[in-house]
Amino acid sequence: MAEEFNTEGMLDIYLFENQQLLEQLQDIVLEQKDEECFDEDSINEIFRTMHTIKGSSGIMMFDNITAVSHKLEDVFYFLRDAHPTNVPHMELVEHVLTVADFIGNELEKIQSGDAADGDSSEIVADLDEFLTMIKGGKSKKGKETEASGNVHEEPKQFYIAPAATTSSCFFKIFIMFSPETEMANVHAYKTVYALKEIAEDLLYSPEDIISDESCAETILQDGFKILLQTKSNKEEVSEIIGEGYEIEKVDIFECKAEEFFQGFDFGEHEPHIDLGSNAQESEAKAGQPGKNEGGAANGAGKPKMAPGDFVIQSKEPGKQKKLAKDKPKAEKSSFISVNVAKMDQLMDLIGELVISESVVLQNPDLKVPGLNLDNFNKAAVQMSKISTDLQNVIMSMRMVPLTTTFQKMNRIVFDVSRKLGKDIEFEMVGEHTEVDKNIIEHISDPLMHMVRNAVDHGIETNEERAASGKTEKGKVILSAKTEAGKVWISVEDNGKGLDRDKILAKARKQGLLEEGKPEAAYTDKEVFQFITMPGFSTNENVTEYSGRGVGMDVVVQNIQEISGNLDIESTAGEGSIMSLKIPLTLAIINGIVVETGNSSFVVEIGVIKEFVRVREEMMIYEPNGDEYIMIRGECFPVLRLGEWYGMSPDKYVKSVEDGMMLIIEIEDKKICLLVDRLIGEQEIVVKPIPSYVKKVKGLSGCTQLGDGSIALILDPAGLM
Amino acid sequence: MEKLNELSKQVDDELLVTEEDDAQKSKYMTFKSGNEFFGLKIQYVNEIIQIPSITEVPRTEEYIKGLINLRGKIIPVIDVRLRFKQETFEYNDRTCIIVVIVNDVTVGLIVEQIAEVIEIKEENILPPPKLGRTDKADHRFVYGIARVGNSVKLLLDPDKLLNDEDFSAIEQTNNMISMKE
Repeated sequence: MAEEFNTEGMLDIYLFENQQLLEQLQDIVLEQKDEECFDEDSINEIFRTMHTIKGSSGIMMFDNITAVSHKLEDVFYFLRDAHPTNVPHMELVEHVLTVADFIGNELEKIQSGDAADGDSSEIVADLDEFLTMIKGGKSKKGKETEASGNVHEEPKQFYIAPAATTSSCFFKIFIMFSPETEMANVHAYKTVYALKEIAEDLLYSPEDIISDESCAETILQDGFKILLQTKSNKEEVSEIIGEGYEIEKVDIFECKAEEFFQGFDFGEHEPHIDLGSNAQESEAKAGQPGKNEGGAANGAGKPKMAPGDFVIQSKEPGKQKKLAKDKPKAEKSSFISVNVAKMDQLMDLIGELVISESVVLQNPDLKVPGLNLDNFNKAAVQMSKISTDLQNVIMSMRMVPLTTTFQKMNRIVFDVSRKLGKDIEFEMVGEHTEVDKNIIEHISDPLMHMVRNAVDHGIETNEERAASGKTEKGKVILSAKTEAGKVWISVEDNGKGLDRDKILAKARKQGLLEEGKPEAAYTDKEVFQFITMPGFSTNENVTEYSGRGVGMDVVVQNIQEISGNLDIESTAGEGSIMSLKIPLTLAIINGIVVETGNSSFVVEIGVIKEFVRVREEMMIYEPNGDEYIMIRGECFPVLRLGEWYGMSPDKYVKSVEDGMMLIIEIEDKKICLLVDRLIGEQEIVVKPIPSYVKKVKGLSGCTQLGDGSIALILDPAGLM
Repeated sequence: MEKLNELSKQVDDELLVTEEDDAQKSKYMTFKSGNEFFGLKIQYVNEIIQIPSITEVPRTEEYIKGLINLRGKIIPVIDVRLRFKQETFEYNDRTCIIVVIVNDVTVGLIVEQIAEVIEIKEENILPPPKLGRTDKADHRFVYGIARVGNSVKLLLDPDKLLNDEDFSAIEQTNNMISMKE
């Protein structure tokens, strides 16, 4: 596909833009899915979106995308102009979503390097039928769509050897572009391209419209001239050329064959297009004529050769910048995408800047008595302000709102609830909450599972709801908020809630219950945690969406990977709330800096239960060297950090009374860590230990402290 | 320290002409470790810095001295003498770190003293003499011996230096030297 254009680079832009457009499209549709019909703005917006997708896909020659987007554009064209009142809204919504899905799938294929080979014919046929129906077509089965107005039939009949046949007509076409048109030559080329599919013979002037950018001026000034031999009639031709916003005037004159063979009066080297070899591609372009960008011009003159024996003139691939610019400017032009590696580099540099700043500001040379530092101090304050701002900005650059992720969930609720025949309302709260980009990537899947679960077996069917006397509609609330440096995302439903007894029974069957512990001794929380075990599903029936018993364990696994956790609350009969608690960012953790000997270490704040000063008599020494400590009747193993680090024993505090104990708890395992002293709490930027150093158990990374020195980050799980 | 700065500058200058690969090809950064002078191809050398504070990493090989902070980038440093199984030495103000980049891995080499950047012609480089112990021949840090005036420089293969299993370089060099004599 698309051999004729050099699509490298363009493809990226194409994919990026169209994926964004599709997202916007879905937002609009889902926003108004519950209304009576789309409002005027949305219709226009959808029309424009489809038009844009059609246009750019046409350039890239992804015919199936072009075909469906074109068809949908037709539908909305009709809606926009005719304001029909009999439109079944839900059906329309589904059509739009089907198209969006189709295009989305194709774009994914393209992105992964496959050919966009999806079959568009079914969707196109469906849309045709739908269009006919809303146009007042008699029946839903009325497939005989009149190719009227804006419905274009695919002109498949034009595989014609470039020989003049008697039924051919000859046209001189003259196109004038509006003076402000950019890159008129590209528009002209597109017209030529569109015409090729119906042409038996085609000549145009100026001829070198692709490789020679300067001819854009000529085209603007003198117009673009085309000589066309075709079987189509004048109407069809004019339709293909279309009248977009760039085209000011199109004149099409029918002419005689003799006139045609006279060709243009100017120019020696008319370009010749071998239609035979291009029939395939030409056909590809079929079905999406009437491009707004199109343009053609009157050609008068004669080819030096008979139109039959044309030579292939290989066309220079369209230059990327011309075509890229051709696409409508994205509405979100205030965004640029930046390589994450560059951002990381920037962050490193800013960190370094802050440190060198403190080196300058606390330089010992400034401590010389008798210096007048007033001006210096003023400047220093100013500088610190700027560097703090700079730090904040770079951090915020990595933050992305959850909006897109939430929108996806909206779609899932919509799809699943419709398929299951449940009437479900979906509400989003706090979707603008911002989270680090790599966190978003990790929560998308778990969230999807949770939302599906809520819709599928959280909320009862309409009948069940009625039977249990619930009057309000089924509702799923997806909310996000930031609290205490963490993001809380919860999925709440007002369905039947979790069935404690059922879960317990199942847990018993799977042998998850502890021996000898009565069922009543389990708290609700403990019981609900069972559903996060692998292979645990209380749903007897496997549905399309959930119930296979994979799901919650995957959710928990994914969440734990980003050091988050899952909380389940549920009240039988009233619904359940599943909340994720995840860190705002992976790159920065809140840690306690401790010191042993001359070395600094960081312990993540979340695992520290408490700090205690202990007395010697609390210690228990085993003969084999193990040490324990008794605190409030509980016995903890003791780990001396200095010893673990391999410091010589005279460097760190020997007596437990002089040091500080940190009680660390991970997954119910506790350990006491003896350090020399506490330095304080600090937000630290986590950096990996260079891979050249082999992985050390008990270390999870390193970081740079305020004075530029490096502190090792302890991994408590590895210490145990 | 003046010498260090001067050399740093020299290295920088050499690195500036990266485009002219040929000019660099035969240039070597030489340094002293123990009693020997070693040479490293200049294209591996990124910069030369003084010894900053080093954060030790427990439970690693002895020659990995720890991590340093190179303008926000955290890189490991290895002690070349320990790498060669020579005895340790006290770091002083002549001690410095040669930051090398080998196969995208950035590592600092702690060396006792850097000497100079010299040009060594291909014809002055001899392959290291075979020791007759073929099983160890693959593990050499030294891939060539260069004669420069009256002195001898041992040319190091940085890849092996960083990545090879332990091998007693001092033994190797001693043997070579005795053979030279």
